[in-house]
Amino acid sequence: MLIKPKTLQFQNLTCVRDDRCLFADLSMTLPPGSLLRVAGPNGAGKTTLLRILSALHEPDSGTVQIGEVEDHLESRQEILYLGHKPQVCQDLSIMDNLMFLTDASQAICFQALQFVGLKGCEDSLVRELSQGQGRRCGLARLWCHEVPIWILDEPYTALDPGMVAILEDRINIHVGEGGVCVFTTHQNPTNLRFETLELARVS
Amino acid sequence: MSVEHRFLVRELKLVLARPGDFFKPMWFLILVISMVPLALSPDSKLLGEIGSAMIWVATLLALLLNADQLFRDDFVDGVLEQWLFFNRPLFWLVILKLFCHWLFYVVPLILVTPLAGMMLSVPNDVMIALLVTLLLATPALTCFSALGAALTLGTARSGILGVLVMLPLFAPVIILAAGVLTRASDGSDILPLLALLGAFSIAAATLLPLAVGVALRLNIGGSS
Repeated sequence: MLIKPKTLQFQNLTCVRDDRCLFADLSMTLPPGSLLRVAGPNGAGKTTLLRILSALHEPDSGTVQIGEVEDHLESRQEILYLGHKPQVCQDLSIMDNLMFLTDASQAICFQALQFVGLKGCEDSLVRELSQGQGRRCGLARLWCHEVPIWILDEPYTALDPGMVAILEDRINIHVGEGGVCVFTTHQNPTNLRFETLELARVS
Repeated sequence: MSVEHRFLVRELKLVLARPGDFFKPMWFLILVISMVPLALSPDSKLLGEIGSAMIWVATLLALLLNADQLFRDDFVDGVLEQWLFFNRPLFWLVILKLFCHWLFYVVPLILVTPLAGMMLSVPNDVMIALLVTLLLATPALTCFSALGAALTLGTARSGILGVLVMLPLFAPVIILAAGVLTRASDGSDILPLLALLGAFSIAAATLLPLAVGVALRLNIGGSS
């Protein structure tokens, strides 16, 4: 898999929610190969920041730019966003869910499911499987897509230690190929080398 | 596979995975219609006169049963926000979604209405007019209920709220359709009213997906 490395940068991001300032004047440039962990207590605005970076949410001020394209919305297809909602439909099979979310071929999807340990349950409905297996199905997209910017909101949720190790390996490969990854977690990633952006809870 | 292909395949698989949602409107229609002779009178002349209007209203209500669900499951599961990352404008995806909904849920319901017509002994020529009005009017009705569903997406347990919001827009469609049915039963020309009804549907199907797209985006996170 080959990606076109892109730089992700944001300038003077400010977000106000319900009269409370979540963060103000955040600026950062993430060149290809950066791994950034957004840290902070609950309610500090981690998810909001990640959604702003994914162009799902509009900041109150500031800009986000990917590569040379000034309009953030234009470069949306450079982003792979994994939110903390499962992003899989309970009534469809693992394979159907994955095939909808990516434009990869069926062979690549099979391979991806093998990587996340879902081999043999491609045709099982998501609601028949455990929560962790559902999460794995969402994570399988990391093995299908060839996009440079990954935004992962709590990717470790409901995963067992084995899967955490596999996921960390995949993130390392992506960063090694020149990708950018921004993630949040309350666990301690042991196998990753990352910068940290600390959001404080302003009360 | 193209986005459009993936979309259609997924919608088809969802229909197969949720047979309850597929048959519910049909059962509802048949049940309501079978109650009419019991509640009113089994006089077939009377039933034939009011039958087409009864079927129209019952079909409209049956359509609303699934309307609230249009975007809700995908919104709750977070699939809806992934739509924004597809390399397509949101209104185009909305058009695809609504077309699938119309094809997989509404058209089968319309195909059941002749059965209801027989139960109420509706005359054949009126029945044909009824089928044509339903085919012409339901795209508009689907778009209206989609806008209601999209606007109330953020409110938990909105239930009938989205339908209530959109009810005033249903009124002109019903009035036009009723006009067609009365003209069909006394044998006068129905084409002008059918043309109006069709124009209404075309206007709704071209303009409302834009509005639905904006409403969805607002509910996903206020990004435009």
